[in-house]
Amino acid sequence: MGNLIWHEYARYVSLTATVYTIWASFWGFYYRKFFWDFVHGIIRNPGGIQPAASDSLFVSIIVKAPVVQILSMLLGFGLLALDYPAPFLKNTAIHRSFPIRIVLLLLQTFFAILYYQGTNGAIYSFIAALCYTRAQLNGEIMPEAKDHKGRGGRA
Amino acid sequence: MGETWFQREFLQPRRLAFNVIFYGLHLFFFGYGWYSQFTNHKLAALNGLKWSVWTSRGAGLVLAFDGGLILVPMLRNIIRVVRPKLTWLFPADENIWFHRQVAYSMAFWAMVHTTAHYVNFFNVERTQVRPETALDIHYTQAGGITGHFMLLIMVLMYTTAHHKIRNQCFEAFWYTHHLAFFFMIGLYAHATGCFVRDSAEPAYSAVFPFYTTDHCLGYESWRFTIWPGIIYFGERIWREIRARRATRLSKVLVHPSGAMELRIIKPSFKYVAGQWLFIQVPDISGWQWHPFTITSAPEDPYVSVHIRQVGDWTYALGERVGAGPQVVASMTKAALKGDEKDEGVYGTRGDFVEIDSTGRALPAVRIDGPYGAPAEDVFNVEVAVLIGAGIGVTPFASILKHIWYRQKKGTLGSLKRVEFFWVCRDAPSFGWFQTLLQEVEAAQADPNFLRINIYLTQKISEDMLWNIAVNDAGAEYDPLTLLRTRTMFGRPDWKAIYSRMSQAIQTGQYVPGTNAQLKSKVGTYFCGPGVLAKAIKEACQEANCAAVDFTFAKEHF
Repeated sequence: MGNLIWHEYARYVSLTATVYTIWASFWGFYYRKFFWDFVHGIIRNPGGIQPAASDSLFVSIIVKAPVVQILSMLLGFGLLALDYPAPFLKNTAIHRSFPIRIVLLLLQTFFAILYYQGTNGAIYSFIAALCYTRAQLNGEIMPEAKDHKGRGGRA
Repeated sequence: MGETWFQREFLQPRRLAFNVIFYGLHLFFFGYGWYSQFTNHKLAALNGLKWSVWTSRGAGLVLAFDGGLILVPMLRNIIRVVRPKLTWLFPADENIWFHRQVAYSMAFWAMVHTTAHYVNFFNVERTQVRPETALDIHYTQAGGITGHFMLLIMVLMYTTAHHKIRNQCFEAFWYTHHLAFFFMIGLYAHATGCFVRDSAEPAYSAVFPFYTTDHCLGYESWRFTIWPGIIYFGERIWREIRARRATRLSKVLVHPSGAMELRIIKPSFKYVAGQWLFIQVPDISGWQWHPFTITSAPEDPYVSVHIRQVGDWTYALGERVGAGPQVVASMTKAALKGDEKDEGVYGTRGDFVEIDSTGRALPAVRIDGPYGAPAEDVFNVEVAVLIGAGIGVTPFASILKHIWYRQKKGTLGSLKRVEFFWVCRDAPSFGWFQTLLQEVEAAQADPNFLRINIYLTQKISEDMLWNIAVNDAGAEYDPLTLLRTRTMFGRPDWKAIYSRMSQAIQTGQYVPGTNAQLKSKVGTYFCGPGVLAKAIKEACQEANCAAVDFTFAKEHF
């Protein structure tokens, strides 16, 4: 398909997914809910779904304390710094590595899919990870930024 | 930059008016949506959700407004018809810009709307105001499903529409943007789940739209927003029908500089100078339409476009018509180097090669259009200043030819003089255009009617400097362009040019037969990059005075 440079495209998806996830995790602090609580959960009126006893681990790190949401937000800011990129990361080996991004995006997918607000962020992060994987498989590399040099001398 | 965000957005009257009206309407709709939910007693149960439901309803109404607007700037045929009548009101050439502004605000309000709904559904489940869970609403009801699909489509459409992606792979943008069809379906169907209701269960019915408005109390915004969608869909079908009308590729000419000229005969195709068209060659791709500027004048018996082989599609086209990339690429390269000059200082550049079509029949082509700004206003001013920068010079091929035809017929209107500026990095790569300029220049009876000014902005080597210095002295033609007009080097000083022009007009030297009592109109028509446009516009405004009225128009091609 054309001359699409996949890692440049993946960057836009990744930034979108990451910003979405950060925003979602922020709301996850206030409205805490384990996404998968409907599995074996029971509905109480009022009160909503009561997660099954087997989910107690997730309840304690998502509902009782928003540990997953905090981790997700920190990871999100990390990814944002990597992909935007932050000035201190520009042109470093970390910034030019696709595997690091793929792993971090998959980790973000995993965190985000655990809490109620994170579903879309998880899906978009997964898409971004796929795009970076494609870039890696195509053997794309991120070139070091060149200084702008004027050209001249040709009619 | 030199200009702050505040200066750009608020200190220009037009932009200020746009910002106030556009964003003012958004805030109004948000406020109204909020208020009408807040005060609706029938929806008291929903109002138990407090601020989140008011926010989601307000943002929902704004999104309906944006959804109705988003397709309006894409109604190309309608815009082409209404534009000449409404230029004073809004810059219709800026339709893509407007499309983007709507899209940006749509993204913002989608964020607000979705965030609020995440809170709404959470609280619906918690309080059981309706006997359903949050995920039921998200993933089993019409509103939730269409909403999440629209968000995903937006992610894909927005990311592929980034200018960087569009430039490197137009197909990715072009095909992905057709997801808009499903997006619009999602938008119109978003409320069919009857989320906004005064009953516990949705009040569905057997007749269209399959819910009753007795209990479903949404805004029914689809009744309004669906019309731009229907008109756009109709326009696409109309374009398809029009494109299928008899079209024949009559000739393919290859110019020495590597440009292919396609001469197409389509009797049903009517256009005016300065417009552009979409071209499709089914042999290469049955889906892709590529935009090109029309380079023939309406008086010509054919429609012509000049195509340079620079991308996948244009290479394939060259291959198909028998002007393979090797042939043309070598010619292009030669032209870039300026090799043609080796044939002698006065070697003609105008010779082109007609592709022999006996071997393989020329491919079928389809054209769609015309679109864009007609340059008819050129004939309403006394002095027309035509400025083309780089590739932006192409529409002026048609305009100059058209002016030439009108000159022959003596129907120039009030047009007395034409100043043509061409600011270009490497003039030889536009050899075909020079050929045309040569013809137009040679046909001038009145040496003062058309003045051609060519500025070469690239750096020149020492060899070339000497070459010019030696060859140029006393020669009848310019050694670079083979025009009588001398090529100038460096960037033009617009302020000096305009102030001199203004003085000359006021003293009556410039335009013969006009006196200073009458206000002369000088229209500038520019096509090229935005930075240059701004500089010229400023020069125009500075040169404005009581006797001379300078206007400026930027064309988008």
